[in-house]
Amino acid sequence: MLSFQEIGFRYTGAEEPALVDVSFAVEPGAYVVLLGANGSGKSTLARLANALLLPDTGHVEVDGLRADERATLRTVRGLVGVVAQDPDNQIISATVLDDAAFGPENLGLPRDEITRRCAEALATVGLLGFEERDPNTLSGGEKQRLVIAGVLAMDPSYLVLDEPTSMLDSEGRAEVLAAINALRARGHGILHITHDLDYAHDADKLLVLQAGRLVFEGAPDTLLQDEEKLIAYALQVGSGDVTPRQSPCQPRPLAPPDPSLPSLLLRDVAYTYSAGASFAHDALKGADLTVAAGSYTLISGHTGSGKSTLLRIAAGLLVPTSGTTGFSDGSAVTPGTVGIVFQHPEVQLFAQTVGEDILFGPRNLKMDTTGIVDSVLAAVGLEPRRFAQRSPFTLSGGEMRRVAIASILAMRSRFLLLDEPTAGLDAQGRAFVHRLIDELVRQGTGVVVVSHDLSEFVSRAHVHLLLQKGRLYVAGGGAGAGSTAKAGGSAVSATGHLHVAGGA
Amino acid sequence: MALAVPFGQYVPGTSAVHRLDARFKLLIVTSFVFALFMVDGWTGLLLCAVLLLGAYLLARIPLKLALRGFKPILVILIFTFLANTLTLSAGGDAGALTSDLAATGLVAPNFGALPDSIALIGSFGIKPLGALRGLYFVLRILLLISITSLLTFTSSVVALSDALTALMRPLAVLRVPTEDIATMFSIALRFIPLTAEEAEKIMVAQSARAAVFDKGGLIKRARAWVPVMIPLFVNLFRRADELAAAMETRCYTGRGRTHLKVYVLKVSDLVIGCCGALFFVAAGIFL
Repeated sequence: MLSFQEIGFRYTGAEEPALVDVSFAVEPGAYVVLLGANGSGKSTLARLANALLLPDTGHVEVDGLRADERATLRTVRGLVGVVAQDPDNQIISATVLDDAAFGPENLGLPRDEITRRCAEALATVGLLGFEERDPNTLSGGEKQRLVIAGVLAMDPSYLVLDEPTSMLDSEGRAEVLAAINALRARGHGILHITHDLDYAHDADKLLVLQAGRLVFEGAPDTLLQDEEKLIAYALQVGSGDVTPRQSPCQPRPLAPPDPSLPSLLLRDVAYTYSAGASFAHDALKGADLTVAAGSYTLISGHTGSGKSTLLRIAAGLLVPTSGTTGFSDGSAVTPGTVGIVFQHPEVQLFAQTVGEDILFGPRNLKMDTTGIVDSVLAAVGLEPRRFAQRSPFTLSGGEMRRVAIASILAMRSRFLLLDEPTAGLDAQGRAFVHRLIDELVRQGTGVVVVSHDLSEFVSRAHVHLLLQKGRLYVAGGGAGAGSTAKAGGSAVSATGHLHVAGGA
Repeated sequence: MALAVPFGQYVPGTSAVHRLDARFKLLIVTSFVFALFMVDGWTGLLLCAVLLLGAYLLARIPLKLALRGFKPILVILIFTFLANTLTLSAGGDAGALTSDLAATGLVAPNFGALPDSIALIGSFGIKPLGALRGLYFVLRILLLISITSLLTFTSSVVALSDALTALMRPLAVLRVPTEDIATMFSIALRFIPLTAEEAEKIMVAQSARAAVFDKGGLIKRARAWVPVMIPLFVNLFRRADELAAAMETRCYTGRGRTHLKVYVLKVSDLVIGCCGALFFVAAGIFL
């Protein structure tokens, strides 16, 4: 049994404790799901599980062994494997096989035992045949499965998985989920930490952590059917908080846009990486896109479909190999005229204060900066007086995301592109993003969201396009009111005319 | 983005050079470099050049690839040559150079018949002997680059890092933390491409906020990189923290490790490696 007993923990210098009096246990072979919003103390708990952190009060016990005793530390770490969120930061070696072997090598096991364990671990996560691959060439899902294999090769009784799917696309999520099921079948006790309710349904036991306190422990059904409780635990948002979803998979009708406002136009845009070389790669093969002011376009596509290339070209950051970009009034796309919020935009924060960071774009554009900080902070739901003077690096992950978005809004672009804007956010963070986009669209901004997560955006956007292998297609409902896509609802080559504009 | 940043310049192949144990390749390269700097005069240098050319042909590496490696240092090569060739004191006290060169043995005596300097315009002129010396230096730099390129063309980065680790292992006796150094190699191999990719992403993200990197004077350009470097370092520290946790989870201490990979020592590799290394060391000493 992996048991947490009256755990209390506070980070040095923190005002609030991260965990208060948390007690629960994971029985051998059980699948326990621990839910909690961003910042509820989940990752701290994961690091306590195998003594990467030591609690201030209480202790962790693994099959009767104390985790905080030096003599048993190695045994405990062998018994409890921890897998964290970002696979890139957990792979140590330059080949898949070497990485799987890293743990057993550290345990000083004989070679044939290492070989046996690696083969078994790689087979369990479905990575047989990948042995000599360079981890840098793997997909996100493959990388995370390699991390699981690396821990599995230690032959642990328990695995603690801390948001193992939150950095992955839907394909990667499915792969990792299959690997988790394989672990369950092998009889490992699993503590799956997540903010995603989708994983909770077939848990043996459900736990909810809120602001460092364990507020629920019990069977999944009792909680999942209780909407009031889910909202109270910040695992779900009330229906009043976001635009109600329309009939599923049917884009919203679009009001005719103001014809005096220009549209963003991409015409027959293609892009080839390393053109001329033997390893040249066509990322885009001729895409037409029209984004009208006040319209909301969803472009869905998997990793490798060319979405980052399309976004960079649309934002004027990359010159297409062929084709043209510009506005319908004849002006050119320059940085600032089309704002772009990249995936995990918080990595671009750099300034000493939130306010300085927000003003970086406006100052580069020589804009009048009076009042910008206050208005954009308010727009992203952060109180200006509390946040403008703070260092961006002291903020929580969700707050950093908001500041990063605010720093783009500060340039007052007429068009905004967002790449996976809800990735890694909990229910409340996602609701905030949806409210913000709706408000921007209402004010006349042309918005394009790129996401692999259809269910999240499809009913909120006016138009839904599919990007596949460098080509754009109209997805379901494309010929609906307000959209002038000539190709009806069926798939159409992106070199055909595809207009995402208002006024049918 | 799924595009992995290419790292290293390995050209896969099955030639004898490719197949030679990377440990001995490293050994031969080291002794070759030793020879390059130790040989006095053209005989030794030209011998090295011929042997290296032969190795390139044997490895079936297109010479075009090797030439590409010279591009970044072209300016240095031209400067080296011109600085040795041109003189502002043609016709002046030039006898010193000849005796100077003869003393180092760099120019074989039979070149001594050349004139010290040829005046072109006033005292500006060229020194034939200086030109020869310049050529000598240029050729030495070219050979140095070519041999290291050949090593990276014919060995994967993994093989190279494993070889370095293996060659280093005896130092453990001197309490050098060889396991830790080996792990550092391996982490560097993983994270250099990742960091390069991340730097590019942050740069694009700041460009989207109208940052300009290639305009203005030196100081302005350097300052333009601050918004890239700060997030890059903050992220590296975060990565380092998470990586350390992942390594601790898997019980890394740097001591008492066993190894899955064991490189079998082939007698043929051993013979080729040792003979090659001895040959170049001898060439360096006697030529």
